[in-house]
Amino acid sequence: MTDDTTAQRPDPPQRLEPFPVQGTESPFPPLYESLPPSPSPPEDPSSDWIETADAHDLPTRENRLAALGRFAFPPAPPLDDEGVAARDRRWASRAIFATAAFLLVFNAVSPLNWSRQQAPGWVQGTVQQLSGVWVAQLAVFGVDMPRQGVREMWTAARQARFIGQAPASTAP
Amino acid sequence: MLFPTLAFGVFFLFVYFTAWSLDRENGRRKLFLLLASWFFYAQWDWRFVGLLILSAVLNWGVGALIARQPGAKKAWLVGLGVAVNLLILGFFKYYGFFIEQAGELLMRFGWERDLPLLQIVLPVGISFFTFQGISYVVDVHRGKTPPAKSLLDVMLLMSFFPHLVAGPIVRASDLLPQFDRTPRLTRAMATHGLLLIVWGLFKKTVIASEISVNLVDPVFFDPSAYGAIDIAAAVYGYAVQIYCDFSAYSDMAIGIAALLGYSFPRNFDQPYRASSMQSFWRRWHISLSSWLRDYLYVPLGGGRKGLISSCINVFITMVLGGLWHGAAWTFLAWGTLHGGVQVIERLGRAAFGDRKVIPTVVGVLVTFHIVCLGWILFRAENFDLAVTMLQGLGRLGPVVALTPMLLTLIVGGLAMHWLPPRAIEGLAERLKTAPSITLGLLIGAAFLLIEAVRPDGVAPFIYFQF
Repeated sequence: MTDDTTAQRPDPPQRLEPFPVQGTESPFPPLYESLPPSPSPPEDPSSDWIETADAHDLPTRENRLAALGRFAFPPAPPLDDEGVAARDRRWASRAIFATAAFLLVFNAVSPLNWSRQQAPGWVQGTVQQLSGVWVAQLAVFGVDMPRQGVREMWTAARQARFIGQAPASTAP
Repeated sequence: MLFPTLAFGVFFLFVYFTAWSLDRENGRRKLFLLLASWFFYAQWDWRFVGLLILSAVLNWGVGALIARQPGAKKAWLVGLGVAVNLLILGFFKYYGFFIEQAGELLMRFGWERDLPLLQIVLPVGISFFTFQGISYVVDVHRGKTPPAKSLLDVMLLMSFFPHLVAGPIVRASDLLPQFDRTPRLTRAMATHGLLLIVWGLFKKTVIASEISVNLVDPVFFDPSAYGAIDIAAAVYGYAVQIYCDFSAYSDMAIGIAALLGYSFPRNFDQPYRASSMQSFWRRWHISLSSWLRDYLYVPLGGGRKGLISSCINVFITMVLGGLWHGAAWTFLAWGTLHGGVQVIERLGRAAFGDRKVIPTVVGVLVTFHIVCLGWILFRAENFDLAVTMLQGLGRLGPVVALTPMLLTLIVGGLAMHWLPPRAIEGLAERLKTAPSITLGLLIGAAFLLIEAVRPDGVAPFIYFQF
């Protein structure tokens, strides 16, 4: 015979712990520290690295013409400060020379105008004759046209007046 | 020999190529630059080359003595150096003015005398090279710069042709260290120099000349013949003209020096953007305003002794700054106006602190118009003419002098103040990587455009007379 009172006895209350202290096996993998020491890994196979080798010694495909060029004209060593300064100076001088040459062609009338404003003399006369010939010869090719065109446009703009204003010639 | 002329172009090409061919020996290079500078100066009046040499020898000698003497004697020597420089400046620039005023004063008291009036020719650029001499002597005394290693350096410092006749006032501490070493010309310097020359040429020969010849000169000659619009346009036009004229000279001077391998300080920084008179003087003729600050305002006491003292000192500085520009009452009045406004600003700041009482836009407009009022005094031959100009601003009449072209140039001249502050430097940074021939052709095309539109002939720079 079964005692009813015993059959209906509730389970003893379990203590509440922040973490399970007596439980079944943890679902998480074991901590690394708790693992038994693993056997040492197998050693790498011996290296085929050649200590004296250089990557630049490896054979590469190169254009034969380029190789010949490098042989014939070996690249210059990097420039020192003096070299950089000289290079920059040459660059600036070329720019100034190009400006002067450009103006000598397209602004050829300037020396002629200058010579006309000077007092008569040997220098003035020589410059005037030379520049006169130079201007006439260049005019054949029409190189004076850009300057002339801009000047005419500017003169027209200068002559413009507001509505109702007296024309340019009557202004004081 | 003016910068924007063919003669100067040929002279500069010769100097440029010769100077760089001598760069292996810095001493010979400096000697060549000195001879070239004397040749440049002799184009105005060869007799004054002697004055330039004398001034340089005096300053070099005083500087050398200051460096060797003990403390007490140094003060005497620096006083002597400054006095000699002021004596030279005073004799050539102010002798006639003061004798004339003294004669009138004596006549009022009934003591009329025949005072020795002399017709003295004013040497070009005397105000600039004497100020440089003073700054050299004082800087050596203060220990800001060591005495020059040779007389050649001091001579070249004072005579170097890019800054000789109209500044900027380059101080010994800026230029002497550059003379010590062989200069280098970098791509950035060359590009910057070329662009500054082109930009200066445009401002001088196109904007300033056009406005001067067709608007400012005729209106200021006879203001009674013009109505309010023409007179107002002439005043605004003069504001643009003097800025474009003077800043053009400075730009070209800085550019020419850069092409020879030397660096000059900036002299203008968009002055009409200033929202106060103090700010204006930090942007206008910076080398003069900083000179006046360091060698006049600070020795007077500066702002060390309180507000009232500071106001008095700034007022004296500006009045003397006005007198530096010329021996005339109009210049004195101009300096007084600038000094007076700065005093009001200082009192205002003392009353309101750092609070922004006036919006910036209003400040810019007010400052600009006070500056324009000052330009009337500056440009007018005498007070009567200045008063006639001011009266004319209230007289309606037909517009006869102002044209669409002149209006465009005035607006353009003012609008350039709102370009990015370092626009030329930025453009130079971009162009310095271009091939040299491309840069040369671009610069040549810019020169051609300017040559095509500029009026015939070149008026001297306004600041040559100072």
